[in-house]
Amino acid sequence: MKQMSRPVIVLADLMESDEAWGRAKGREVFQRLIDEVEAHPGETVFRVSLRGVRRVDISFASETVVELGRRYRGAKGFCLEHVRDYDMLENWDAAAERKDQPLMVWNKRASQVLGITPTAGNAPAFQFALKRKYARASDFATEKSTTVANASMKFNQLWKQGFLLRQQEVSPSGGREYSYYCIR
Amino acid sequence: MNNDLAIQFPAQWVNSTAFEEGLHGASPHESDATQVGFFFPAKCKLMIDVAVRLLSLVNQLDATGKSVQLAFEGGTSGVQGYLNRMGFFDHLAKGISVTPRRPRVSGARTRRGTNARLVEIERINKDSRDERLPATMASAVAKACRERADVDDLAAAAWTIFAELIDNVFCHSQTKLDAFAALQVYRGGNSLTVAVSDSGVGILDTLRPALELENPLLHRLPDIDLLVEIFRQGISRHGQDRGCGLKGCASKAIKYSAGLDIRLPRIRVFLSPGNGGYRRNTAYCFSELPLVWGTHLSFRFDLDS
Repeated sequence: MKQMSRPVIVLADLMESDEAWGRAKGREVFQRLIDEVEAHPGETVFRVSLRGVRRVDISFASETVVELGRRYRGAKGFCLEHVRDYDMLENWDAAAERKDQPLMVWNKRASQVLGITPTAGNAPAFQFALKRKYARASDFATEKSTTVANASMKFNQLWKQGFLLRQQEVSPSGGREYSYYCIR
Repeated sequence: MNNDLAIQFPAQWVNSTAFEEGLHGASPHESDATQVGFFFPAKCKLMIDVAVRLLSLVNQLDATGKSVQLAFEGGTSGVQGYLNRMGFFDHLAKGISVTPRRPRVSGARTRRGTNARLVEIERINKDSRDERLPATMASAVAKACRERADVDDLAAAAWTIFAELIDNVFCHSQTKLDAFAALQVYRGGNSLTVAVSDSGVGILDTLRPALELENPLLHRLPDIDLLVEIFRQGISRHGQDRGCGLKGCASKAIKYSAGLDIRLPRIRVFLSPGNGGYRRNTAYCFSELPLVWGTHLSFRFDLDS
């Protein structure tokens, strides 16, 4: 799939050094993140690059990108890229888990969801969306031989929980339908 | 009424258990005594976590108006010399008297950072935050544990542990008295101890009022059980979405089989890593201890496992 052009926020540019820790420091950086988001009013997906970030602790992670995801859940999405090592993944995961906030990490075309994972019942719908630019409940219902109502409920839950974003479209029948998309 | 209280430590290694034994029966905060003396025989040696707990305690006593004396029988050739090297006297309240005398030159100031086996006592104060402190301590861990195959991962985990512990002091301490952190490698004991000690109200005292409203089940737990839960599941007075720091800290420490010693104003718990976590039934607990304000934490890692 061709990489979509999304605004990239370079977290290191908002930090004073390559290491940051603690809630107070996190709140300072959070304000700078909000400024970055508000500078792109029409955008719904932001890639947050951790290039140049050596370490952050769980508290800092919790107060910055994880809090951003929670604040804009359903309206805008934030994903991480260039995570340095497993220890850092662990810290972002612990921070996201505590806030029940899914946080996608991208490494080239491979992805991973930190924090929480979709329920077993919703996982196929999430995987369906992950493989497409846009996913519609009607298409999923056809592929999985289920009802559109059931498929719609799954996508709606994934949207509410912060796994997916959505936009409203007019369906071929003239009705309104949501198309869902991943945070990437 | 006796105005003097004497606390005598043994002529041997004093770990956190021996420190409590020294205080046992003499609760200097609650005693009517206006003068409190701490006596260290010539062969007495203090572990680093004891040194920072002692520093916090005597500064607290001084701040509450008690007259405090530290008497070192061996002078600077004994444990006083070690304490001077670690910077103990740099942070000791000015009103505390020291016999034979306070060192004229601070070993920590002249030799800070020259020994890979220790990190001298660092002051933690939110008005003058040392951003590099977690990195300094993690670097000491990496040097001390260079024989371990997992040294890079351990150093990364150690950085997070120190950062979370120090940040926890800022969040909970609520005191003008400084907190302290230090690290010491014990080659003979094949271990490394890192200690963080503050003089605040204690982590449970800040947590309980919030839990009473938000989580009555947890609020009803005895102190020791609640303390274990703070590290096991993460509990915060700021609600469900906080509290991940100490839990994350504990889960990283467990991965490296670290023991965790926690001293609060009245209780002490030693958590040893069991199967996959710290558990209440493998914890050593001590309650109704002499009052020492604050939260005093120490982690102990093996050097080469």
